Amino acid sequence: MVGARFPRVMRQLAAWVAVAFFAFPIFYWFTTAFKSAKDIFDKPPSVWTFTPTLRNFEEVFGISLGFLRQQEVLPGGGNFYMAPRLWDSIVIAVLSTLLAVAIATLAAYALSRMRFRGRHHFVAWVLSTRMMPPVAVAIPMFFIFRDTGLMDTYQGVILVHALMNLPLAVLLMKSFFDDIPAEIDESAIIDGASRWLIFRRVVLPMARGGIAATAVLCFIFSWTEFLFVLTLTQTGLKTVPVVSSTFVTSTGTAWGNMAALGAAAMIPAFIFILLVQRHLVRGLTLGSLKQ
Amino acid sequence: MTATALPRRWFLSDHPLPWLAPLIAMLAVFAVYPLFYNIWLSFHEYAPFRRKLEYVGWSNWGALFSDQRLADSLTVTFTYFFVALAIQLVLGMALALLLDSDAPGFGFLRGALTLTLVIPPAVTGMMFLLMQDPEFGVISYVLLNLGLITPQTPILASPATALAGVILADVWQWTPFMVLIFLAGLRALPQEPYEAAMIDGASWWMTFRRITLPMMSKVIAVAILIRGIDLFRVFDYVFVMTSGGPGTATYTLNYYAWQQTFSFIKWGYGATLSLLTLAIILIMANLFIWLAKVRW
Repeated sequence: MVGARFPRVMRQLAAWVAVAFFAFPIFYWFTTAFKSAKDIFDKPPSVWTFTPTLRNFEEVFGISLGFLRQQEVLPGGGNFYMAPRLWDSIVIAVLSTLLAVAIATLAAYALSRMRFRGRHHFVAWVLSTRMMPPVAVAIPMFFIFRDTGLMDTYQGVILVHALMNLPLAVLLMKSFFDDIPAEIDESAIIDGASRWLIFRRVVLPMARGGIAATAVLCFIFSWTEFLFVLTLTQTGLKTVPVVSSTFVTSTGTAWGNMAALGAAAMIPAFIFILLVQRHLVRGLTLGSLKQ
Repeated sequence: MTATALPRRWFLSDHPLPWLAPLIAMLAVFAVYPLFYNIWLSFHEYAPFRRKLEYVGWSNWGALFSDQRLADSLTVTFTYFFVALAIQLVLGMALALLLDSDAPGFGFLRGALTLTLVIPPAVTGMMFLLMQDPEFGVISYVLLNLGLITPQTPILASPATALAGVILADVWQWTPFMVLIFLAGLRALPQEPYEAAMIDGASWWMTFRRITLPMMSKVIAVAILIRGIDLFRVFDYVFVMTSGGPGTATYTLNYYAWQQTFSFIKWGYGATLSLLTLAIILIMANLFIWLAKVRW
């Protein structure tokens, strides 16, 4: 075994300390969300010693959490009333995921099962679209969207996010289909089933776990995307990462509010990622490595 | 033939086209067309007074060669790329070796590490902006007390350290990516070579260099490729943490192209810069795929 001579206790200790370093910024961000402005600007920075408050969450989501703790009701949401932005993020992430997974699943089945000329080149081409710098897509999109009225609309952002996720979704779904033996398809074809029937009734149910993993990753990448939303929307909609950056104002940064919104936005992503641990490496490497 | 009969007949056949058609349509409209639009745009420039795009020939492309800011941003981008990639590879491998154990608690630690990957990079940038704040940032506080920085040189506002501050956020967020991929690779390694090495009395370092690294080469290549593509396109951290400053200390290529286009309204030049970025990525990535024999 690699590193077997490393004394066991030392290794445990080192592992916990190393992971603690990675966990600390998340922990600190969550505590910031519960800090009052006074505690955030503490010098030296307070890690443990502060009076927790729900104020930041109340201001960001425009709700009173008075049932948890007695305090005055906020007047109709503060300056940073962001609940609609959370909704924008959800709509865009869910619909762009559905679109990307639907298109990718069909294509990946063909790429996995059918032999045709140029198949490898086609896969390479799909992969190469992953290499496009977002800015090289955003510039022409800005004009195309302006001319077609897609600027500042859900449809526009959904289409771009689906596009952004297609290389990942296609390559990942292909790798999941490749895992299902082709003999299953072949024996069904001999029995007279059509490709479409096999796909719908046999292969698709067997690839359920893979589809779920692909969908989760598409959702997360749309949920965290920044540049396209920044560029292709104005006032009609904004997702969480982009509105977070608007908390930086000329009169100072609303750290508490920003942390509250950021923390709330991380929770769903944390839950999703823990659900797909099994397929995570395969997903992150676009289907090239299997766990 | 009725309208509904057509797709049905197509799906019965064995031709891949109906299956690929939605993907091809999507990529044609949103990847191929924009690419050609960008090329067209790079031969035009926005004339602010006449408020329209005008044909300017090769002047945008020619301007690339005399643009000092572009030279600076290329330096910054390549520095960022190589430094961040090297740190993430070495740190990622070290952590993967450390966490490659079935002892109690290690499964939990591996799961905990994945959390950084799903945080929006823009939010990560904010987290590190807060922690590196010269007044009340916790990282600044620690470094100040260790004597590594002075109050006169805030991390993100000093030309010497600003890029390091941005890379720190990147390293924090994406080292776990390397750890997870390397761990998957380590766990899939056969045990026999290690038993043989142990019998031969090989040292730990020898075993690592002669057995682990060669057997992990494919895994490492894939990790470099995927991380490398994203590192070269870095934008979010720069945008929220430094806006390219101070001076041009954190001016990455992608940020420069974005700023020229959307802040300075130089559509044509921005398009040219974005095409340059695309060309560099395509050349480097395909060269790497070919040299390292990465296959999908």
